[in-house]
Amino acid sequence: MTGHDERDTTTDADRIDDGDNAGDVHEPHPGVPTLGRDEQPSIFVPDDGEPEVADGGDERSAATDGGVKSATGGSDSAELDPTTYDPVDVFPGGDLDLRDGADSCYKCTSCDTSCPVAAVDDEFPGPKFQGPEQWRLKRKDDHDIDASITSCSNCMRCDDACPSSVPLSQMHNEARGQFVERQMEKLSREYVRNRILSNYRFFASIASKVPRLANFATNLPGAMWLAEKTLGVTGEREFPPFATQTFRSWWRERGGAQVENPDKRVAYFHGCYSNYNTPEVGKAMVRVFEHFGYEVLVPPQKCSGTPMFANGMLKDARRHAETNVEELVAAIGEGADIIASCTSCSMSLRQEYPELFDIHGIEDVSNHTFEALEYLRIYEDLEGALADSELDEERAFAYHAPCHARNQGLERQAVETFRDVDGVVIEDVGDSCSGISGTYGWKKEKYETSMKIGEEMFEHMEHAEGDVGMTECPTCAMQMEHGTGYEIEHPLQLLADALPIDA
Amino acid sequence: MSEQADVIVVGGGSTGCGVVRDLARRGLDTVLVEKGNLTHGTTGRMHGLLHSGGRYAVSDRKSARECIEENLVLRDIAGHCVEETGGMFVKRPEDSEEYFQEKLEGCRACDIPAEVIDGEEARRREPYLARDVEKAIVVPDGAVDPFRLCVANAADAREHGARIETHAEVTDVLIEDGEVVGVEVEHDTGPGKRVHREPGTTEEIRARYVVNATGAWAGQLGEMAGVDVEVRPSKGVMTVMNVRQVDTVINRCRPKGDADIVVPHETACILGTTDEEVEDPEDYPEEEWEVDLMIETLSELVPALKDARTLRSFWGVRPLYEPPGTGTDDPTDITRDYFLLDHDERDDLPGMTSIVGGKLTTYRMMAESISDHVCEKLEYEAECDTAEVPLPGSEDFSVLREYMEEFGIRSPVGRRSAQRLGSKTDDVLSSVSPNPVVCECEGVTRAEISHAIGEAGSDLNAVRLRTRASMGNCQGGFCTHRIAAELTQEYPEPVVRDAEDELYQERWKGQRHALWGRQLSQAMLNHLLHATTMNRDGDPAGLDAGVDFAAFDAGPDAADDPTGGDAGADSGTAAADGGRPFDEGGIDGDR
Ligand SMILES: Cc1cc2nc3c(=O)[nH]c(=O)nc-3n(C[C@H](O)[C@H](O)[C@H](O)COP(=O)(O)OP(=O)(O)OC[C@H]3O[C@@H](n4cnc5c(N)ncnc54)[C@H](O)[C@@H]3O)c2cc1C
Ligand code: SF4
Ligand code: SF4
Repeated sequence: MTGHDERDTTTDADRIDDGDNAGDVHEPHPGVPTLGRDEQPSIFVPDDGEPEVADGGDERSAATDGGVKSATGGSDSAELDPTTYDPVDVFPGGDLDLRDGADSCYKCTSCDTSCPVAAVDDEFPGPKFQGPEQWRLKRKDDHDIDASITSCSNCMRCDDACPSSVPLSQMHNEARGQFVERQMEKLSREYVRNRILSNYRFFASIASKVPRLANFATNLPGAMWLAEKTLGVTGEREFPPFATQTFRSWWRERGGAQVENPDKRVAYFHGCYSNYNTPEVGKAMVRVFEHFGYEVLVPPQKCSGTPMFANGMLKDARRHAETNVEELVAAIGEGADIIASCTSCSMSLRQEYPELFDIHGIEDVSNHTFEALEYLRIYEDLEGALADSELDEERAFAYHAPCHARNQGLERQAVETFRDVDGVVIEDVGDSCSGISGTYGWKKEKYETSMKIGEEMFEHMEHAEGDVGMTECPTCAMQMEHGTGYEIEHPLQLLADALPIDA
Repeated sequence: MSEQADVIVVGGGSTGCGVVRDLARRGLDTVLVEKGNLTHGTTGRMHGLLHSGGRYAVSDRKSARECIEENLVLRDIAGHCVEETGGMFVKRPEDSEEYFQEKLEGCRACDIPAEVIDGEEARRREPYLARDVEKAIVVPDGAVDPFRLCVANAADAREHGARIETHAEVTDVLIEDGEVVGVEVEHDTGPGKRVHREPGTTEEIRARYVVNATGAWAGQLGEMAGVDVEVRPSKGVMTVMNVRQVDTVINRCRPKGDADIVVPHETACILGTTDEEVEDPEDYPEEEWEVDLMIETLSELVPALKDARTLRSFWGVRPLYEPPGTGTDDPTDITRDYFLLDHDERDDLPGMTSIVGGKLTTYRMMAESISDHVCEKLEYEAECDTAEVPLPGSEDFSVLREYMEEFGIRSPVGRRSAQRLGSKTDDVLSSVSPNPVVCECEGVTRAEISHAIGEAGSDLNAVRLRTRASMGNCQGGFCTHRIAAELTQEYPEPVVRDAEDELYQERWKGQRHALWGRQLSQAMLNHLLHATTMNRDGDPAGLDAGVDFAAFDAGPDAADDPTGGDAGADSGTAAADGGRPFDEGGIDGDR
């Protein structure tokens, strides 16, 4: 869809892009990424400037194409196989018609009662309206999506609550996409701000070239004030610090994988945050998986799309998805399963990708994706491995399960893994939502809602014994830290400490 | 009470409403009497297809020409009742090519704009069409809301001095000196708006002329006057889907047959239909095979229908008229044309004319011709202007603005409201705070409900027909009580209860034919919610008998309780079912 072939331009871009490895020519070492491709700043080329080849200039077209419904996993999307054909595939340029999703709704309102935004914001009509009701009331040429869709944080709790499998978040994502495409003023401050927030990766990739400077700049007095005034990014939060060395550059420096094992391979989808901001999570992942004898691949990758879905930037999300799917399919071809350390990334690859896009192999990616701890709990004897472990000192954690973990059925995994480990106290702080939902809580007009939602979690964290927070989600971590001042760890970090790994 | 009018029109279907508007606009003093709500008869139980004439282009060109003519008129004068969906006659491989060509020629011969598109283009326009649809003829079919149309006609008549009486059944035709001089009516709850529990009254209404527009009931009215009107009622089933699988009217391009049309209507799609002669227009079997046939046959055109959710099914009876001596066996062969039976000429009974047959699409034309006839009889001269003057609600579409922001309602809700209310939107939405939305499925605001109550009294079915409230996927499970609650502003509690029960029952009636899969789950959820949160499966207030309070706490000595068992269990039972007296069996949610 982009009309770019980014591969052709890699060599030049590398050098500009990746100072610490410039000029380095590799023999492919297992798991060592092809340089640069994944880190080009090409991702913020505005859509308007792109040749719209595929769409024949249909300006109304949205990026989605109905996702994958076919039995072949969408692999022959180019030529429709009549036997697997599904009507949603034929919408030109990809508008999804989700009216039939409304067939499954019984109006039971379970979704509304589980929505953290509806609980604190009386103006928000709730998921039932946003999803099945809005879609049922809609007609083909009736493109008005209610503006309240932008108040949904895409936490996906409603998906989980629905007893009838109504594709709520798919409906929301599509509605948000249509709203942004057609109804939001393209030059409005809100649009620009959302575009920037959702393309966090791009800015992060620049900032991490000069992390110290970037950290310095974002923490300058007045920097946040300026962001708030000019972009509508809340001035209440501090930008997360950028790591002095990205995960990928650490990975290259270390020479890629230290374990080679064609029978046990995983491809690590680190996502933006553990690459740019918390590489220690990625490093812990590598240590843990290598401990269990896995060969870790780190394929080139772009943003998982989570922030883009939440902001209705479906075209951006699709471009990134194309790269991700292609690279991950290649890794699957080498026998690897895909592992993410961020629950929103795994959620996106698993659920949102096949719901929204029909890209060759996307269903395979979905089927092979796991969250890191989940994977180990399935394939390794974690309990056994942790049976004799002992921490140097006693540690207590206040654990928050991210909504997206909940959606994948993973909300108990951290507690179950660590509660019997000697020297570890871990307490679940309850099933409330942290309230930040990625970029949501960064928006000035959503900040208050976000903090109101988070209140319950903050309170429970304070009541918990531990004064270190734990969660799988990087933005939940920001919120936890922001609300309590605690330091926050990822379960993989604790796991790396608890396992007998020689550092 | 007695009154002398110029004309009494019996029957508040599209025909009667059209006639009363026409005559009132011509300046005659007119009364409309209808035994139920407006559209109580066939008009409220039809497809809602605004015919382009395409369906008759081969078999009945006269009808086809009338249809396209009136189709264009209604788009003009009744914009807020019509959705310009467009229509297609689609051809599957097994359908005859020869017939396709005949259809096309027929359309052209009748001046029906018709365009042929290939299967691919047809699927581009309607993605859920079957893959093997080969091609289609595109025609200007539309969807029409019969209730809005009748209400608008009646409202205009009232503005021009007519009296409109619903829930007023004609029980006798008054004949003096061999001439019809009026009718006797029984008002359900007294004249004027219907309010539950008000006592009924009888009234003689006298007039210089009586128009029998009772459609399938025309024979019964004829009987009261001692004349024969040979209406052959023929039933047809219609099945309502939960969502619109198509946004265009889809017709199967083949000679007459069952289950050959899908009409998108508001939020739903209506599948139809069958054609089976019945004895009695009010008492005929509603059979399962008819519903199955709709879904099965029509899924050849739109495969998604097979797995889609069905909300309900309903039946209507066509008032087919056959001039004496024709002797047609197959009802589908009976003409769709309408007949004006002047009982003076025919039966030597002056003062009354019956009008039978026809279609909703051509209601205005029929009304014009019968009004001409009545004027001639009364030697009264006036011009008909019903083809030019828009109906109330359709006058000025420039007033349709963005209601959402102004009234704080959500965009799709505002759109639906504006589409239903037409040029009345402003007045209605600004009268009462429109929020909260009362019927979520159909996006009906509180303002719309209270406006409709103002027009319809405590009759919530009339409110439903005006607003579509309770017509969505919960079929009233989540909103009947909310709608009824709006009545409490004006009416006492027992009236509100009766009104609520009546609406809930009406919704249940049609749902009985959709009880499988998802609608069955819905019905069970509705049932349990009503039972567990409102005690509706045994609400003491719903009983006429007094509450047996002793049954709540019969104590450990109540061993002689008729239900037997040990005493502890008995008292538990009594409390759980709300102290229902034991002899008052048979009360459950299905009342
Ligand atoms: C299944 C089906 C589908 C149809 N689909 C379409 C379509 O898509 N498009 C179209 O144009 N046409 C359609 N038609 C035809 C159309 O519905 C009818 O021709 C039209 O509605 C007839 O209107 P009417 O006013 O003549 O009769 P009705 O609507 O039946 O009106 C007669 C009224 O008289 C009242 N009445 C009876 N007895 C008494 C009494 N004693 N006292 C007082 N009132 C009394 C009844 O309650 C009733 O309301 C369809 C018909 C059927 C059966
Ligand atoms: S995704 Fe979360 S915020 Fe959005 S509607 Fe669902 S529950 Fe509410
Ligand atoms: S939880 Fe599911 S079935 Fe219930 S109202 Fe929400 S979408 Fe409908």
